[in-house]
Amino acid sequence: MKETRLGEFEEVILLLVGILGDEAYAFKLSEEFESQTKRSVSIGAVHSTLNRLSEKGFLTSEMGGASPERGGRRKRIYKITALGERILSEARDFRVSLWSQYPGFAGG
Amino acid sequence: MNRKDPISPKWAKNFLQWFLRDDLKEEVLGDLEEKFQHKLGKGPLFAAKLHYWYQVFQYLRPFAIKKYRSSSIHIIMYKHNFKITYRNFFRYKSSFFINLSSLSIGLTCAILIVLWARDELSIDKFHENDQRLFQVMHNFETPSGTVTLEWTPGVLAEALEAEFPEVKQGVPVMPPATYTFNGVIKTNDTRSRGKAKFAGSDFFQIFSYGLKAGKEEHVLQDKNAVVISDELAVNLFNSTSNAVGQTLSWKQGEFTGDYYVSGVFTKMPANATLQFDVVFGYDLYKSKHPELEDWSYNSPSTYLLLEDGAQEQAFSSKIADLTRKNDPNAEGTLFLRKYSDQHLYGSYKNGVSSGGRITYVGLFLVTAVFILLIACANFMNLSTARASRRFKEIGVKKAIGAKRSTLAIQHLGESLILSSLSLVTAIVIISLLLPTFNQLTGKELTFSLAADLIFPLLGITFLTGLIAGSYPALYLPGLKPVKILKGNVVTSLSALWIRKGLVVFQFVVSVVFILLVVVVYQQMEYIQSKPLGYQKDNVIYLDAEGRQGDSHRTFLQEIRKVPGVVNASAMRGDIMNGDHNSTSGVVWEGRQTEVEIKFSDLVVDYDFFITMGIEVTQGRAFSEKFSTEMDKIMFNEKAIETMGLVNPVGQVVRLWGQEKEIIGVVKDFHFESLYEEVKPCFFRMSDKHLNPLVKIQAGQERETLARLQDLYKAQNDGIALEYHFLDSAYEHLYFSEQRAATLSRYFAGIAIIISCLGLFGLAAFTAERRLKEIGIRKILGAGNFRIVALLTADFTKMVLVAILVALPASYFIAQNWLENFAFKIDLQWWFFAGAGALALIIAWLTVGAQTVKAANVNPVDCLKDE
Repeated sequence: MKETRLGEFEEVILLLVGILGDEAYAFKLSEEFESQTKRSVSIGAVHSTLNRLSEKGFLTSEMGGASPERGGRRKRIYKITALGERILSEARDFRVSLWSQYPGFAGG
Repeated sequence: MNRKDPISPKWAKNFLQWFLRDDLKEEVLGDLEEKFQHKLGKGPLFAAKLHYWYQVFQYLRPFAIKKYRSSSIHIIMYKHNFKITYRNFFRYKSSFFINLSSLSIGLTCAILIVLWARDELSIDKFHENDQRLFQVMHNFETPSGTVTLEWTPGVLAEALEAEFPEVKQGVPVMPPATYTFNGVIKTNDTRSRGKAKFAGSDFFQIFSYGLKAGKEEHVLQDKNAVVISDELAVNLFNSTSNAVGQTLSWKQGEFTGDYYVSGVFTKMPANATLQFDVVFGYDLYKSKHPELEDWSYNSPSTYLLLEDGAQEQAFSSKIADLTRKNDPNAEGTLFLRKYSDQHLYGSYKNGVSSGGRITYVGLFLVTAVFILLIACANFMNLSTARASRRFKEIGVKKAIGAKRSTLAIQHLGESLILSSLSLVTAIVIISLLLPTFNQLTGKELTFSLAADLIFPLLGITFLTGLIAGSYPALYLPGLKPVKILKGNVVTSLSALWIRKGLVVFQFVVSVVFILLVVVVYQQMEYIQSKPLGYQKDNVIYLDAEGRQGDSHRTFLQEIRKVPGVVNASAMRGDIMNGDHNSTSGVVWEGRQTEVEIKFSDLVVDYDFFITMGIEVTQGRAFSEKFSTEMDKIMFNEKAIETMGLVNPVGQVVRLWGQEKEIIGVVKDFHFESLYEEVKPCFFRMSDKHLNPLVKIQAGQERETLARLQDLYKAQNDGIALEYHFLDSAYEHLYFSEQRAATLSRYFAGIAIIISCLGLFGLAAFTAERRLKEIGIRKILGAGNFRIVALLTADFTKMVLVAILVALPASYFIAQNWLENFAFKIDLQWWFFAGAGALALIIAWLTVGAQTVKAANVNPVDCLKDE
């Protein structure tokens, strides 16, 4: 059985795929990750996670267009699957429910 | 893309493509390219490239790496090859043992020689400025050819530094070459001996003697200053740090006095050419020797530090006639020699460098190569000879479809494994043998697997493996599978020839070695036993030092009274190896001025000729009975002959402008090494700076020496007398030749052992292969002797061919070596006959055991099964 829990890094990447839409490929994702989190990450690490998420069925991908700054090479664009979206919202609901049970934060 | 655009690092890309899964290539390369371009926009190219590498390494993740399914077959093949190699080693233990031992012995030899050569090549190169350090050498024309000396005018260094922009710094150093002034050093509570040099003030800036105390540019500026070695500092003052500023008193002739220590230098390595413990300022020396201002007076060595980029050759020719330009009386031509060349390229013939120790380095390296080749030949021979045992293996493999190259690699692999095993064995042997080897060569070699040694070692080993495996790897896989599997392989003629050729080669080398050993040994014996014209037995000589330097006369008087002393005298320098000056300043009646004759200048004291047993053939020797001996002169016969004087005794010659009467002529004797002819020389009297020589009654050496010791100690504040026996010093004169002789003996032995190992293996193999033939011959009535003769005949032929080839070669080499000596043995026919016969006998003995065993076989045993 495949692991269906999301790690923190996986969750962020998954969300970023959703945010970037048609521009969701490894290089752009790593750039976006760095600018959003102020943490540096290698393309390889992002790619490795994308690969894992695809294996779990949260992502699908297809080859997209080429551009000159890529030396004319095509890129792989990732899209969130229905399963991916469900797992994301489950993760969010889980967090929200945890937050709501946190008395010190209830006022906020 | 446009080529001018900065491109991502090629090697990183290649590396990525090498490990990355094919289906990921396009997207990953694209992403990284984009990242690279992005980075370029923000920073320097270098940073972008570095980042690219970082990104590439970040892709070393399991998901992205290729699956090496295709490689597994290779691994299986390698495993298989290893297994086959291993099994072969164990099945044919004797071959394995022979191969392993000969290769290990060969490698041991080669590595030891490489260690030795490395050390030789590194001598005198420890100075930081080595590349720019030069010495000014001096060529003098004489009737017997050009003589090259290190003696130069005392003003030369200064003049060169001032007039030539190429020269950064220059220093004169007294005494020249490797000589030193030896004196006694005293402080309040300690005394010691010291070897002194007098050097120009830039000495420690030019040479890197690593000052531990004092400033390089100041230490030699004061006439009362002295720089001492750290070793001496510890001896005298217990530490190097508090030596500076201390006072010591130095006893040596005219320089006796108190000096303060201005610096401490690090004692040079034991193999450095110049060895000294005390350095005084050159100005101090010059103040007592005004003749050093003279351009025609040659004494100190001159060392130069050239500017960066100065052309040695051009500069050398620029200064060639500098002395003659400055002084019409001066003679000689100057030229430069690299400072660190003095050890390896120390000999000159007719003014041109004729090598020196580099010859030995070359010879030994060649020896190493030959010994390794002999060992390789063993492997080639045995593995091709025994190939029949592996025909089936090769046949089956080829039938299945193995390529020729695959099989070649397998056999090369086998020899590489063997050579690696040999390397391990060799390393073990070397670590055991190194102390002995050091003793033999007089070196302090260490063996550690440091990076600069490990690559040469692996290189040699790899090359050895490759050479050893080359022939089997070419020959064996070339066999036709059909023929092999049918079982009718006829060993091709060429293979047979090569095998025989290898044996011949091995024996050629062995015979050459044997002959050279004989020749070197004979020549050494000849030199040691050649009558030199003087008696060197039971003579001791003492260094002129301390008070003996000045007043040796009274000392000699006292010595002569000591019981057991036959006689005593003194001379300047030393009688054996030409440590004396020579001059052309002799003028006599009838001198033909166009031919310049150089006379060696031997300075002696009364009784010299009696003490040394040199025959006076005409006139008389210097004697105390006459009062004006300082105005007299004596010559050797060679000089009289060269001068063309008849009835020389009583005639007057002018030496350096002073009239001197010839009182006697002595028989020629060798006052230089036997590399040189006896040269013309004159003898004059002096009482300064002479080294005492004492002849002792045979059989009473020990008692007499003890008495001399007491006498000396009483006069010199308890310092022990340092003396040398002339005969052992004479042996020492040919030390490097003796070493070469000893080493060549070992190498010859090793070459023969390795060759014999191979021959032994081959003989065993042949006997085994021909067992059936022997059986049949015996049934048909052949006697044991005939069989032995039959089996031996083949090998005998090979060895005879080897001898025929080796003799002219060795004659040539031996003749060449002997050319160096003015006095040499003639090559006798029996050297050659003996070397040949020895090789043959050794070969027979090696083969003998095997053939006799084969001849004694019971025909029934070898013919009963088919």
